Amino acid sequence: MSASYKLLFIGEPGAGKTTCIESLSEISPLVTDVRCTDDLAQVKESTTVAFDYGELSLGDQGRLLLYGLPGQGRFSFMFDVVRENLLGVILLVDAASATAADGLGETLDTYAAAIRELPCVVALNKNDSPPPTLLADCEALLRKHGMVAPILLADARRREDLVRMFRLLFTMIENGAEPIAATGGMAWH
Amino acid sequence: MALTKASKEACETALDELLARCDGVSAVMLAFRDGRPYADRVRDAAARGKFAAMSSSLVALGQSVLRELGGGVLDHVLVEGNDGKFVVASVPGSGGLLVIAVLAQRDARLGLVLGHTKTCALSISTAIT
Repeated sequence: MSASYKLLFIGEPGAGKTTCIESLSEISPLVTDVRCTDDLAQVKESTTVAFDYGELSLGDQGRLLLYGLPGQGRFSFMFDVVRENLLGVILLVDAASATAADGLGETLDTYAAAIRELPCVVALNKNDSPPPTLLADCEALLRKHGMVAPILLADARRREDLVRMFRLLFTMIENGAEPIAATGGMAWH
Repeated sequence: MALTKASKEACETALDELLARCDGVSAVMLAFRDGRPYADRVRDAAARGKFAAMSSSLVALGQSVLRELGGGVLDHVLVEGNDGKFVVASVPGSGGLLVIAVLAQRDARLGLVLGHTKTCALSISTAIT
């Protein structure tokens, strides 16, 4: 049986998690979006309330299972659903939002303790030229939560951008992470 | 459909009736489809947010599973364990806006819990339309 690994996309609502999975998945993605009923409706029509799911072949090395979790803190329990065999995390930021740093802060408040030991890449989405202060804010937020992660620009709709994120993530895994047999996860040293 | 103060009070009355009429029910949550509480009878105030979020996740997952596997329209989702039962369903007539979730103890009779949950959902439907 071929191996399967999980890759997690997290970020504030509207950061691009569902778009990433739709762009990458080789199967029809499972989407659990519903129409928003709160102030978020002014920004986007729908939001994920369970998880998005897609799959990507890694050839002889198995399959990559793509999970996107809801951005709101009230759904943090969903992390337990994807914890096992989690290879790494793509942390998405809506760089076009005036409150991008706040969104990243809320995501880290919710998930930092769970993802701190995992390889992680931060992707600034939706803006090819974000303000320099955003980069500094993101770095400061990562430091505040005891995390180190590369930050790069990416368009969640462009497959080549996502492939670039993957390459970076897998380089990190190959050069510093090793599997934890007991949990099936990876430890980042 | 209108969510007014009067309709919310009617919803809360329906939740109270469910608790009074169905032995073994320990908590009831009426939540928005995107996981926020609307009205509830949950003792632990700190647990309300997560209770509502889990309810909406289960309904969304149940709907997705049925859609993917050709199972039709969701009626309810049942989660049953050693020490309790959890039933969650969409509220008819709410346009998918609301979900109702009922937590019952181990010895509660499943048929009664399901029946009272549906009766309560219909009362809520009447209250908001």
